[in-house]
Amino acid sequence: MLDAFSRKAVSADSSGAFIGGGELASLKSFISDGNKRLDAVNAITSNAACIVSDAVAGICCENTGLTAPNGGVYTNRKMAACLRDGEIVLRYVSYALLAGDASVLQDRCLNGLRETYAALGVPTGSASRAVAIMKAAAAALITNTNSQAKKMPVTQGDCASLSAEAGSYFDMVISAIS
Amino acid sequence: MKSVITTVVGAADSASRFPSASDMESVQGSIQRAAARLEAAEKLASGYDAIAQRAVDAVYAQYPNGATGRQPRACATEGKEKCKRDFVHYLRLINYCLVTGGTGPLDELAINGQKEVYKALSIDAGTYVAGFSQMRNDGCAPRDMSPQALTAYNNLLDYVINSLG
Repeated sequence: MLDAFSRKAVSADSSGAFIGGGELASLKSFISDGNKRLDAVNAITSNAACIVSDAVAGICCENTGLTAPNGGVYTNRKMAACLRDGEIVLRYVSYALLAGDASVLQDRCLNGLRETYAALGVPTGSASRAVAIMKAAAAALITNTNSQAKKMPVTQGDCASLSAEAGSYFDMVISAIS
Repeated sequence: MKSVITTVVGAADSASRFPSASDMESVQGSIQRAAARLEAAEKLASGYDAIAQRAVDAVYAQYPNGATGRQPRACATEGKEKCKRDFVHYLRLINYCLVTGGTGPLDELAINGQKEVYKALSIDAGTYVAGFSQMRNDGCAPRDMSPQALTAYNNLLDYVINSLG
């Protein structure tokens, strides 16, 4: 598992170079935006249950066949497994956002996920759609532009780059399973 | 590779929970001290050649024929070059450790197995200690870098010296 800092060390070591000037600039911005990043992770973790259940409810509303007999989340057992998987994906995205690097998400969550879902007969289109809904919810929460009353009382700042970074991790999940 | 953030994420993952408030505090603490570490890394990246050269000079002043007395004088130039190459290698890993904020790079890429290698090559670890001790006393706080940065740098030099003991 790597973070934004050790990622630089690993890539510098492959060429035997010291880490200087240019590479350090991006780490300095990581440090100066450190509080924003922690607030962004907090925005996801504090609303985790809400993000996941909204996403799963969303796919069930959009595609009523899912809850019908033989549907992807027919029976409470499958629905519970779906909610659990949504939470696991969101948890690894929050780790990646905290570390500033996707390796933890790739190694511990996405590696082999497509094969697992194929073996279990999970409808990947619906699963991808649920991740896309979580992505939209996370973007709204990170930029504090969600329409619900649960806004964070933080100083407003420009979190567009962090929101885009979180979005890229969700996109990795989508491309890994679809 | 071990750092504060990867340790925190690993602990959260093994308990399968989201990052908690105390995890955030740990990361925040690491980020606050990171500015000094990066300053030291930047200064080291631009000045490593001179630092390594001074260390080599100190080693050869103390052990003109190598610590075991096996090194013939005719090989002095080649020996000095290899000696400097090794110091530059350690300084590069110290640079990585300063960036990552942990001793992972030094542990994984140098310290694991170093004693066995130096024993097999009949190199006395004491010659390295002599060079690193010179480096340890070489840095000067306001002249080379800020005091906090120098502390981070010297800590890693001490870590290497202790690993060779």
